[in-house]
Amino acid sequence: MAGKKKPERVEVCIIGAGASGATAAKVLTESGVRVVALERGPWREPESFGGDELANSNRYNLWPDPLLNPRTFRASEDEEPKVELFCPVPQMVGGGTVHWTGWVPRMVESDFKLKTLRGEVEGASIADWPITYDELEPYYDRVEWAFGVSGQGGANKYEAPRSRDYPVPPMPATRYARKFHEGCARLGYNSFPTPTAMLSKPYNGRPATVQSAFVQQHGDPTGTKSTTLTTFVPDAISTGRLDLRPDCYVHEITVDERGRARSAVYQDADGDFIEQEADVFILACGAMESARLLLLSRSGRFPNGLANGNDLIGRYLTLHEYSAAVGVFEEPVYGWAGGGYVSGSTLEFYESAVDQGFVSGSHVAAAGVGVPLPINFTLPDTPLWGQGMKDADRQFFNHGMAVGVCLHDLPQHANRVELDESVKDAWGLPVVRVTHKAHQNDLAQGRWIIDRGVEILDAAGATRTWPVYIEKITGNASHQHSTLRMGNDPEESVLDKWCQAHEVDNLYAVDGSPFPTSTGMNPTLTIMANAWRVAENIVRQRGAVTATSKQE
Amino acid sequence: MNEQANGDGNRLFFDEHEWKTVEAAMARIIPTDHQPGAREAGTVGFVDRYLSGIEYVYAKPDGSGFEKLTGKRAEAWQQRIDMLRETYAEGIEEMDRRSRESFGDDFRQLSAEQQDRVLTDMEASAPADDETLEEDQATAGFAPTEEAEPSEPAMQQTLTEVELDFFLLLVLHARQGFYSDPIYGGNKNRVGWEVLGFPGPESLAEVHSGRYSVLPYFAESDANRGEEDNSGR
Repeated sequence: MAGKKKPERVEVCIIGAGASGATAAKVLTESGVRVVALERGPWREPESFGGDELANSNRYNLWPDPLLNPRTFRASEDEEPKVELFCPVPQMVGGGTVHWTGWVPRMVESDFKLKTLRGEVEGASIADWPITYDELEPYYDRVEWAFGVSGQGGANKYEAPRSRDYPVPPMPATRYARKFHEGCARLGYNSFPTPTAMLSKPYNGRPATVQSAFVQQHGDPTGTKSTTLTTFVPDAISTGRLDLRPDCYVHEITVDERGRARSAVYQDADGDFIEQEADVFILACGAMESARLLLLSRSGRFPNGLANGNDLIGRYLTLHEYSAAVGVFEEPVYGWAGGGYVSGSTLEFYESAVDQGFVSGSHVAAAGVGVPLPINFTLPDTPLWGQGMKDADRQFFNHGMAVGVCLHDLPQHANRVELDESVKDAWGLPVVRVTHKAHQNDLAQGRWIIDRGVEILDAAGATRTWPVYIEKITGNASHQHSTLRMGNDPEESVLDKWCQAHEVDNLYAVDGSPFPTSTGMNPTLTIMANAWRVAENIVRQRGAVTATSKQE
Repeated sequence: MNEQANGDGNRLFFDEHEWKTVEAAMARIIPTDHQPGAREAGTVGFVDRYLSGIEYVYAKPDGSGFEKLTGKRAEAWQQRIDMLRETYAEGIEEMDRRSRESFGDDFRQLSAEQQDRVLTDMEASAPADDETLEEDQATAGFAPTEEAEPSEPAMQQTLTEVELDFFLLLVLHARQGFYSDPIYGGNKNRVGWEVLGFPGPESLAEVHSGRYSVLPYFAESDANRGEEDNSGR
């Protein structure tokens, strides 16, 4: 310990300060709870971000460096795992919200009861959520209003009931979004402005979001995009009750003699090991890393990992895959404007996918091609180099767009996160080994939806279109869920409906890990709403602790 | 400070032969036509500076210089640069070997047509049937998924360089040098963006300060009711 003092015991220790950890920290600290948040990555200021595609996207300025944080992947148990950067998420205060565009749709009512509605699906292990849309609705509302989400209530004909509209109107349409809306309208489809974590006008003391070309996969130097780094973290800090410690990498959660979580043992920026005791521990590392931390936390009482008596930790891993129909237009559509994802969506291929024989559908939205741009711009069927490539770039860069899909990934027992004892990260810990193979339902559903995307582009007047079908799930959406499934049956799940571990009653998880199914919706709003719900319940559980207010 | 990598008199890493070879190859990857190509954009200087060490990995976001890397991050980058240097050294040798075998001279001495033939051969023999490499190519953002097949766009992928075959690395770096912010030594006078028609920022500082807005390129912008919007749609 190099002479460092053991820190004081705290009421709640949150591990991870991204979308979910920051949300929980805000709710807890504003309710009077003292919180220590341990974030393995840095605490960067918005001023440290730039409009630099090369650094941010190609050189891991925001992504985890795979030489330091490798993972391994295999499609099935029979395969030899290969080292690759599978489904990375930025590791820093703010997490994935730092570099996102922020598509934040709510889920719909059916998402919470897929098992009831569809029954058994061969080869999949679908499950109902132990909560309903109605239970989550107040928290969706709170996040949208506290975080700053633009959108237009009622514009989406398939949206679940809302208690009120969005706090700010939708983002202005880009030209590529306009094309998307035109195509949908011609085909009789409902389309709507994508609910987006950006401000279309000043709100809550914050200015409108600057519309740069560098958004998706970029940090926002102006701090005007909605991220937890610039909203919920400062909210929590301002209570005086959040001790946020960046560059602190938790290696293990220890247990006491009764089998309750006792402390988080972490390595700080100096490489020293520190032990933080707390009454309650909340995992918010992302679904893969939260599962990994529990698997790393082996003890006499929990030899297979903390709270893993039923061998379910890491199982049922679900992801999403992003792909698209791609089209080019005679006139410019400027697919890079606003960063490539502003702002047109449809849910026409959500529940209606069931009529086609699919278990579920997916959120579909307008986008640029090969975002981020311009280095990574690319069209199908174009040469890799030479005059042909240059001509294609020149001809199509301003004219290409995509109709993208956030493909639902059904849960399967064999798809999982484990430790790979043969590959260590730069801190000497075994890394995540992913075993994942897409369900045929999902690949077929992806083809069907991408074909619909082609039709939308055609209807909008595209001069040429290409379907880019999904052949496998590569983790490219950076969405990860279900590794610590919540459910009512302790035999079939890791967490209960309050995201409290069945086996360890002072251990919670609030990232994507509790999701029983991935759904076809971008997950972060739901993650944040759920984190708010869980944090509020933790406050309720420990009794109405009035702010003993440690000073200002 | 971007001026220093302008000519090969300011080489930081490559020797003269390597510089001229990479410059010649990149000039075929993004050729000069009625508009500038890789040669005019200075993509060889971009790579030379990248491979020179870990001093030029990340520009400061306001464009005032480069970040100093420390700790594990610095170690990882040193490791990565070492691997890339090896790929370049071996790749240049191999390219010259093929050139001499087919045309009797080093790559940089060949005609443009001959150089294209060598590059085409290298592309074809990139081990694209190896699944690992295939994935790496796909994640490189623009590469073919199968030998001689047209490329598919990688959708929202992160990028990896260290396991790429030399030819694919060269193509990737040519693109990066052509289209990245000029502070990295390529895209001189923003010629790459000019070729694309991308109205990129004047400088990183313009983005950093929030002055860079692309709202005029949105559909709902008054500034945008110009000639290009007369499609009647």
